[in-house]
Amino acid sequence: MADVPFLLLIEDDDAIRTALELSLSRQGHRVVTAATGEDGLKLLREQRPDLIVLDVMLPGIDGFEVCRRIRRTDQLPIILLTARNDDIDVVVGLESGADDYVVKPVQGRVLDARIRAVLRRGERESSDSATFGSLVIDRSAMTVTKNGEDLQLTPTELRLLLELSRRPGQALSRQQLLRLVWEHDYLGDSRLVDACVQRLRAKVEDVPSSPTLIRTVRGVGYRLDSPQ
Amino acid sequence: MTERSSDKRTGDTAAGDTADNSGRQRPLVRLLRRTSGLLRWTSLRLRLVVVFALVALTAAVSASGIAYWLNRNTVLDRTQNAVLKDFRKALEDSTRSLPQRPRCAELQDAARQIAGGPQNYTVLLIGVDRDGKDCAATTNKDLLTLDAVPKSLRSAVNEVRKVDESNRYPHHLYWQRREAGDVPYLVAGAKVIGGGPTGYMMKSLAAERQDLNSLAWSLGIATALALVGSALLAQAAATTVLRPVQRLGHAARQLGEGRLDTRLRVTGTDELADLSRTFNRTAERLEQRVEELSAREAASRRFVADMSHELRTPLTAITAVSEVLEEEAESLDPMIAPAVQLVVSETRRLNDLVENLMEVTRFDAGTARLVLDDVDVADQVTACIDARAWLDAVDLDADRGIVARLDPRRLDVILANLIGNALKHGGSPVRVSVRTEGAPGEGEAGGAAEGSGGGPERADAGESPRGADRAGGDLVIQVRDHGPGIPEEVLPHVFDRFYKASASRPRSEGSGLGLSIALENAHIHGGEITAANLPEGGAVFTLRLPMDASRLADDGGNRRDGGAGPERGRTTGGASRAADKGTEDDR
Repeated sequence: MADVPFLLLIEDDDAIRTALELSLSRQGHRVVTAATGEDGLKLLREQRPDLIVLDVMLPGIDGFEVCRRIRRTDQLPIILLTARNDDIDVVVGLESGADDYVVKPVQGRVLDARIRAVLRRGERESSDSATFGSLVIDRSAMTVTKNGEDLQLTPTELRLLLELSRRPGQALSRQQLLRLVWEHDYLGDSRLVDACVQRLRAKVEDVPSSPTLIRTVRGVGYRLDSPQ
Repeated sequence: MTERSSDKRTGDTAAGDTADNSGRQRPLVRLLRRTSGLLRWTSLRLRLVVVFALVALTAAVSASGIAYWLNRNTVLDRTQNAVLKDFRKALEDSTRSLPQRPRCAELQDAARQIAGGPQNYTVLLIGVDRDGKDCAATTNKDLLTLDAVPKSLRSAVNEVRKVDESNRYPHHLYWQRREAGDVPYLVAGAKVIGGGPTGYMMKSLAAERQDLNSLAWSLGIATALALVGSALLAQAAATTVLRPVQRLGHAARQLGEGRLDTRLRVTGTDELADLSRTFNRTAERLEQRVEELSAREAASRRFVADMSHELRTPLTAITAVSEVLEEEAESLDPMIAPAVQLVVSETRRLNDLVENLMEVTRFDAGTARLVLDDVDVADQVTACIDARAWLDAVDLDADRGIVARLDPRRLDVILANLIGNALKHGGSPVRVSVRTEGAPGEGEAGGAAEGSGGGPERADAGESPRGADRAGGDLVIQVRDHGPGIPEEVLPHVFDRFYKASASRPRSEGSGLGLSIALENAHIHGGEITAANLPEGGAVFTLRLPMDASRLADDGGNRRDGGAGPERGRTTGGASRAADKGTEDDR
């Protein structure tokens, strides 16, 4: 990872694209921009950015679809930029694989903080490894293997798994997880946690619909258990 | 009815066992209502039956009466005439053969001869014999003696009338009807002209009376039959009238309950069919009108939603750039810097306004949704105050460990608006207290005090889970200030959109939507906010939320999905289903 974060901004509106590029550049990011989803996907393959800031309303293929296509091959962080704070858009965005979302009109500082928080998730930490059944989490290598096979996790999913595995058998509330993983303030959207847990279960669990590792603790949050 | 039942409920609340009592009383009230409805129906039925019966009775009685009267006269006259004619003839015949002063035995013979006719009457002959002695000859000593003949008849018979043009005879035949024992008799008498004996006869009318009695009986039976028939007819008529009326009433009730597509089936061409047709036309017009109005309202709402939506795009660009400008403000020309500051601060305000406008349109369109989480309320309040740098101005009285299931973002919006409003208008210190109320009775009182806007529906929705709720109870957060309080005339309007306490108050004090949004956010939780003034000065806003809003969130979500269907069904239908599925898998 380069010292200067390298961002890809996909946004169709010229004014917003220019303004956000200006603002993000001033915050110390290197920014390339694309006006459509198709251009964005092309730039993604050519330039390999660290993170994508993706507008939902795009001409041609929309932001959700772009998000889904990226997730098929890449695990890099995606932040959705949504003008429609209709709650349903957020849910769809999170389900299509976004790591976080920011609602327009967005303040540059908020967006910057979210970008930095997401990027921090990929940073290594010097620690040991932990085993939960067939799941092995190597904290120094930042890899997760299941039955000896490497799992492709996004930085957010990895961070969530790390935070849960650091306190095995202990329930963490959604708000706690939001603060630990997403570094949100006290008003985090708990659906971020739920959506990420869903995605993580799909990769980690043997049967995602009846989880044995990441358990729901009703009225509290989630807990990582060793299977009995 | 409504009034009474509401009275009842407050009475129960005082007694303290609301759920139990109202549960038992409700069927009773319904039964009473049904019975009274039935009575009302039967009263119209009853009226019809009574009127029909009266008409039938009058007709039958008068017809029978006249028939009886005519019959009686005819029968009696005929019998009487025959008897009298026979008597006159027999009297004449038998007295002609009598000597001037007959003997008693001769008189007796004559009487027997007269009575021997076909008419079967009893005869009494009174004459004076040769010795100048009165002699009375009767064919039946027990029945007919001179004493049995009424005095009036006797005097009339004996009276001598003047003979002139119009009256050719000095004596006439007289008759009278009288009863001896229980039997009716015809009594007649005549004096034979030229000094003959006086003859009386008495004829029993028992046979005629029996005939007339049986006639009266059959007339009575006919009248009774007519009465029964009329009652049945009235029933039938009432049913044919009342059934359409009942249907009409039912349809009108449905219409009143908001089912505007209610129509009646029109059959026939009578007045009721006319009425049904009128009803259908009215319902159709009403439906059209309501559709028109709601379409217009939806259009204007969509306009506001679209507008605030469209404002976001330029605002996003302006916001991003104005932040860049703000950072550069110090290095700018001192003439330009204030201008930049103004642009930055006004952009921020515009942002807030658009944000609030979006929030309001979401509530109006019914797309607002609860994102529930288990939240430590004291932490949440502290964080809200802390994030806005209000810690010094706010005095918090809250125990940690009160965990409620609600939407933390919406709670934050409510708190920020209430506390911000208190700081702005009341001035510090603002005191925020958090407590829980477990007793359903107290919760009820809060429900009763709530405003009119969407009140009943909310109250219902809030009430039902309260009874069965495992956590139960309400979360009550009070925000009070020490300012001048809210003027009485403003108090009912504090939650209105863009309502300003006075025209002179500068508009810069807020978007004018804050308290309205706070109230909507409380409503979507199934809660309520009330504003009041304290007697010791200052205003107090009381927020009351159910401890667990999850049931409401599910209900609200489903209902809102339906409501928003036509507008945004294509894009959000699938997504919302996916969202529901997500939650289900998850929990």
